[in-house]
Amino acid sequence: MPMKYNRNELADGIGFSTVIDGKFKTNSISVRFITQLDEQNSAANVVGIGALSVSSAKFRTLAALNERMSELYGASLSSGASKRGDLQILSINSSWINNRYALDGEDITAEMLDLVCGCIFEPNVNNGRFDEESFKITKKDLLDHIEAEINDKRGFAISRASETAFEGEGAGFSCYGERETAEKVTSASACSAYRKILETAQIEIFYVAPEENESVGEKLKAEFSKLSRCPAKYEFNVPSPVKQSVERVSDELDVNQCKMVMTFKTDSDDTYAIKLMSMIFGGTPVSKLFMNVREKLSLCYYCACRNIASKSALMVDCGVERGNIEKAEKEIQFQLDEIRNGNFTNEELDSALLSIENALSGVGDTHSSYVSWYFERFCEGRIITPEQQSELYRTVTRERIIEAAKSVKTDSIYIMYNKEAKE
Amino acid sequence: MERKILKSSATGDSCIYVKHPSGLDIYICEMNGYSSVEALFGTKYGSINTTFKTKEDNDYTTVPEGIAHFLEHKLFENEDCDVFQLYAATGANANAFTSFDKTCYLFSCSANYEESLKILLDFVQKPYFTEASVAKEQGIIGQEIKMCNDNPEWRVFFNLLRGMYHNHPVKIDIAGTVESIAEIDADLLYKCYNTFYNLNNMVLSIAGNISADKVLKICDECLKPCEDKGLETVSPDEPAEIVMAEIHETQPVGTPIFNIGCKCAPCDGAERLKKVVCATLAAEIISDVSSDLYQRLLRNELINSTFGTEVFCGDGYFSVIFSGESSDPERVRSELFAELKKICSDGIPEKDFQRIKKTVYGNLVRELNNVEAVANLMINAAMSDAEPFDMMDILSETTNAESLEFIRNELVEERFVMSVVEGAEK
Repeated sequence: MPMKYNRNELADGIGFSTVIDGKFKTNSISVRFITQLDEQNSAANVVGIGALSVSSAKFRTLAALNERMSELYGASLSSGASKRGDLQILSINSSWINNRYALDGEDITAEMLDLVCGCIFEPNVNNGRFDEESFKITKKDLLDHIEAEINDKRGFAISRASETAFEGEGAGFSCYGERETAEKVTSASACSAYRKILETAQIEIFYVAPEENESVGEKLKAEFSKLSRCPAKYEFNVPSPVKQSVERVSDELDVNQCKMVMTFKTDSDDTYAIKLMSMIFGGTPVSKLFMNVREKLSLCYYCACRNIASKSALMVDCGVERGNIEKAEKEIQFQLDEIRNGNFTNEELDSALLSIENALSGVGDTHSSYVSWYFERFCEGRIITPEQQSELYRTVTRERIIEAAKSVKTDSIYIMYNKEAKE
Repeated sequence: MERKILKSSATGDSCIYVKHPSGLDIYICEMNGYSSVEALFGTKYGSINTTFKTKEDNDYTTVPEGIAHFLEHKLFENEDCDVFQLYAATGANANAFTSFDKTCYLFSCSANYEESLKILLDFVQKPYFTEASVAKEQGIIGQEIKMCNDNPEWRVFFNLLRGMYHNHPVKIDIAGTVESIAEIDADLLYKCYNTFYNLNNMVLSIAGNISADKVLKICDECLKPCEDKGLETVSPDEPAEIVMAEIHETQPVGTPIFNIGCKCAPCDGAERLKKVVCATLAAEIISDVSSDLYQRLLRNELINSTFGTEVFCGDGYFSVIFSGESSDPERVRSELFAELKKICSDGIPEKDFQRIKKTVYGNLVRELNNVEAVANLMINAAMSDAEPFDMMDILSETTNAESLEFIRNELVEERFVMSVVEGAEK
């Protein structure tokens, strides 16, 4: 059975997409709340959405909520926060096995729909405050999460590089907020943040399942239409201006391996050429960075380039010995120059294109790939299929890639030094 | 050529098993409606296989720590090119990994899977090592080792294993150390390759948008028949007792990270699978989100949502691990011990047992929803001498009494080790 995609508006600024694909054994709902990423509100927003996945008016404790989902064959409900450009994307995600696998004939979908709607529309709130226990669990989780950012050294280096590269812009902040603001969140401020999100956020809902179920859309429409809405308008892509001179920032940590993150920015709006250029540069195991910085010079275990299209930026990151940092930086710049000078083969271009096409053809093999695909298309303001996007990549010429590389300027460099080795 | 259909009685899913004349075990799952393909070509050779012989050898050979992982890296280099360059022409996403008991080479793709499969089967059967290329790799792997040493989750886990195992090589780091990999040369790599990369010791698992007949035709073309060389690996004797009850390490981390693990008696084949099911149910009964223990720990702010459990086992090792972040791991451990005592004396409420069983069943169904997960399910089962859908059948037969017996017999306080990684300032 071919896949069926449909999107309609449930209310002002609330989109509801259904993806029906008969091959799946599970159903899922993902509700995404889009709001501005800023220093003041992000932590309260995370707690406000997070508390929804801990209890509800019907299931007053995490234990009761989990017990019910566990009876429903380990159904899941979680909250999440991420960053897209200058925006904070908060989400409630739930999934469960399809009714046909219920051993005792339960209507798992109906039960989970009730449970998810209960958590979103009838939260465990009294007098404008989240239930104290649910709030405490969620706030502690957030504080621990913020503290634990240092555990992943590669991720930490990228966060620190983002702070410098996007200083003064939403993208410069953590989507979880800072410890100081998180500590100040109260059950009342989290609740009020949640109310504001319901009122002003752009909301995109995705239901992915093996078969149609009209009651899902009807129930969500009935619930959302009760809300008083005043949705804000958000800019999904805001290019970040390149700094006048390259800014260098460093930290010194008790680590074995140093990290370097180089941020580049572009004023080009040729997004497909930029993406292809970034793949040739450092997006595959045959890219210039992998083949030269890693394989030829043995400087790094990883050295890769990521494309941050929403900010017109590229980030190259690597883990490297202190003594080799300068050498790695020079080589990375040299490889970028090679693309600027047109020194890349047709094979390099073809392999970058094939790699992109391969990823695009795989969209639809998991629930999350469908949701990511359609969410991104919504953000871009244009619904196209993966095949149509493949076609757009295929039209990119060698000259456009060279122009794209020429448009890229170094913005900032972050280095995490190890303690002993810093000069 | 032996060929049979393996079927799940619970979900109706099936896959094809083939014993290829070359000696290779092949598992194929055609998944209708999916676009992608996931293939893994693996050998039963991991970091724990440090001492071995074949029937051609008089004595056992002991090799440096980390050599299986080193070999994995080096196999990507052909005599005339890098294997990634071959894959670049097909668009497949290729990778490899080495674990404790296996090394797998894999690709995922959405087109040209036939070409990618030929590349996979070809390069894994065609080693090419030189002293110069070995020296080059020592630099790259040295950086990988340093990166792993900066990973507190990695450190807390290996410290736990060091606290559990006196002699078993599961306690050594998969990648070895900068010193141990310095001992590796091309001759040693060929010795290991010729011993373990024998098709009689290997498995091919492929799932997704494929045709079994096409896969088998490519296998017929590409696989070189191997003589079974009677491989024997040995592990030193391992006492039932642990090495030490507690290990701490300092690293830049947020809230301290802990692994609290119990060393259980190892077992093989069908017995191991049954034990995995009992241990999985037991771990969930003890500490799932609705359990008394979890709720008590949460109320006292001793854990957060990172808390979880794992059953970790292989040839000669078996353990149940409780992990998470806590400002006071010692209290987590004492609460866990108190809960174990309570369950041992009061038993497991049948309602909770049935609820947890449903959760585990649901998780197994979910696995079959995903091409990558199915390919991994098939190769993991094959490497453990089990069949892919065995787990679900064993689960349906497992009783409350068996789970309780596991808790009473295996999860004893004396066999627990606590490993903690914490920041310099507690």
